[in-house]
Amino acid sequence: MAKKTYDLLFKLLLIGDSGVGKTCILFRFSDDAFTTTFISTIGIDFKIKTVELRGKKIKLQIWDTAGQERFHTITTSYYRGAMGIMLVYDITNEKSFENIIKWLRNIDEHANEDVEKMILGNKCDMEDKRAVSKERGEAVAREHGIRFMETSAKASINIDRAFNELAEAILDKTAGREPGDHVDRVTVDRRQQSSTTGSCCNK
Amino acid sequence: MPDCGTSYENEVADGYNIRNVKCSFCNCTILKQKLGKFTTLEFDLPLMKQIGGAYNIETEKVSLFWLVKHMMTFENVGFSNTVDNKKYLTCADCDAGPIGFHDLTTKESFIALSRVTHR
Ligand SMILES: Nc1nc2c(ncn2[C@@H]2O[C@H](COP(=O)(O)OP(=O)(O)OP(=O)(O)O)[C@@H](O)[C@H]2O)c(=O)[nH]1
Ligand SMILES: [Mg+2]
Ligand SMILES: [Zn+2]
Repeated sequence: MAKKTYDLLFKLLLIGDSGVGKTCILFRFSDDAFTTTFISTIGIDFKIKTVELRGKKIKLQIWDTAGQERFHTITTSYYRGAMGIMLVYDITNEKSFENIIKWLRNIDEHANEDVEKMILGNKCDMEDKRAVSKERGEAVAREHGIRFMETSAKASINIDRAFNELAEAILDKTAGREPGDHVDRVTVDRRQQSSTTGSCCNK
Repeated sequence: MPDCGTSYENEVADGYNIRNVKCSFCNCTILKQKLGKFTTLEFDLPLMKQIGGAYNIETEKVSLFWLVKHMMTFENVGFSNTVDNKKYLTCADCDAGPIGFHDLTTKESFIALSRVTHR
């Protein structure tokens, strides 16, 4: 029964400063009753999600990245096989926005050159604490020719839409390539995971 | 949610799942029909709801599973961080779990029949 159940596989990474909400974007609880479970203690490494775009069945493998890592410690092996990168900042944290430029430089240096990028201004539910205007986010994205969206992992705003858009952009690029090209490069034993988890939205 | 007492005979045909495997909480599709091989083995699966806190993991013996050989066969699923050479599986939409486990050595995944619904 090893028949292929999809047309394409896209590996996506969530990158950005510590505390911007990467883990929350990947790990959302629909119900507060679950917050004390085993799973929230050990944390999620990655998710597989299936989306349908233009009649194609696409598997997204979405990876979180460990919190304490900084752009200067992230090198090529980290980005291996990644076809899309969600670059996340926190709209209530000016520094995390300024660092987007440094993350972009790091991606340019170390990631595959045709990797598709998207900038997310997360925590847009916290309007009263906003430090970075939407216009500034849009401007940086425009300057670098990449997509932009404001999101809230807490209020579930634009999260699915963002992943769909990123996937669609990759699809535009990959059109014409052999299906399943990247399957071999995807493995789970990527690195030893640190156990910095348990911080999530409904705390 | 113990295995015993519930009959799963009607869920299996030719050794595979007849119906789609879905999350019991949010109805998200985890595995499409005919892609999970019916398998029995003994496994101590941590409870979805822990009462004793993080230092005292409560488990239950689970024995009926859908075996999935390649992780990309899943429709929607979450993989936890690694614990003792295993990853635990969750619903990709609502994060309920563990609904099963993934063995890093064999690369096989197992979904517990008692932790999901069939529809
Ligand atoms: N209000 C609000 N808070 C959020 C949102 N997303 C995340 N948070 C909060 O921000 C804090 C950090 O979120 P995490 O998801 O742990 O951040 P992270 O980017 O994974 O951080 P590291 O793992 O350290 O890199 C937590 O307290 C979350 O509850 C959001 O959309 N809105
Ligand atoms: Mg994190
Ligand atoms: Zn669910």
